[in-house]
Amino acid sequence: MLLRGLTWLVLFQLLGTVLNVLLVPMLPGPIIGLLLLFAALLLRGSASESLQVAASSLLRYLPLLLVPPAVGVMVYTEAILQDFWAIVGVLVISLLLSLVFTGWLMQALIQRQSRRREDA
Amino acid sequence: MTTMLDWHAAWQALIHHPLFGVGITLAAFQLSFAAYEKTRWVFLQPVLLSALLVIGVLLLCGLSYADYADSAQLLTVMLGPATVALAVPLYLNLRRIRELFAPIVITLLVAGVTATALGMALAWLFGAERMILMTLAPKSVTSPIAMLVAEQIGGVVALAAVFVMITGVLGAIFGPALLRRCGVRHPAARGMALGLTAHAVGTAQALQESDECGAFAALAMSLMGVMTAVLLPLVVTLLL
Repeated sequence: MLLRGLTWLVLFQLLGTVLNVLLVPMLPGPIIGLLLLFAALLLRGSASESLQVAASSLLRYLPLLLVPPAVGVMVYTEAILQDFWAIVGVLVISLLLSLVFTGWLMQALIQRQSRRREDA
Repeated sequence: MTTMLDWHAAWQALIHHPLFGVGITLAAFQLSFAAYEKTRWVFLQPVLLSALLVIGVLLLCGLSYADYADSAQLLTVMLGPATVALAVPLYLNLRRIRELFAPIVITLLVAGVTATALGMALAWLFGAERMILMTLAPKSVTSPIAMLVAEQIGGVVALAAVFVMITGVLGAIFGPALLRRCGVRHPAARGMALGLTAHAVGTAQALQESDECGAFAALAMSLMGVMTAVLLPLVVTLLL
């Protein structure tokens, strides 16, 4: 069950990599794979249970999979420490502002939409 | 001296085993996750704490990041299929997404451009040079895209990945509480905010809140990634 879903995920990732090299060098393989799998699910009209099981099991461990890339920060400790406050300042301020702005804007738009639907 | 155990050889065999990286990452993650579950203290964010624990172990063992990257490949390589897997929650929440189509598109365009421009403007104010500006520009998107884009517009690829990672971890640590404090309670809005600004790490955090929140985070992350990959190099060539 799990294995069949996993097979599809790996195949779509590979297909994405092929298309990345052949046609769209600006999008990485996994993102092309994501878009293709989404399109395939739309065409098919349903997501099989094995695919759902595989996807949710894999996504449950997404934080774990992100640990190795995060460890890569250690290579740049010196460069980061040199401009520590500038980098942290820019990253923290811009992240916090844009995070709140995004959430606020989306919520305001959702509320406006539901108000309009009620009026109509 | 035949009874003397060869501790040195055993130690070398241990730290150079092809599964050593996987082993310490799994152990660090279990510890961090347990600590986070028990305390719910935001600074114990599992990705951050695990990474720090792994870095500590590597320094103690005298191993370089390259050694670690080799022996943690089993985990790294699954990141691709995991990204593809985000299509599933996206599809399963299709009805919700269709209902909110206009808010999604407007938020993506307005907030996506704001997030990118704000980072660059602040860096410019802080007096960063062009190279750093171009490295910071793609900081809100998932690292493979950010690295590609940084390269295209003249930034430092490896440093771009670092900015992406710091941004993601910050978003996961402060995002949920900050959004709550600012009155953003709608799961779709919380998901959009986490995915658009803090990419995969934010999405992983959003998946913990609810399915709907996670689906919108995955949606925002992939749309923001595609938009950045296609438009940012174009805008930079035209304007700067």
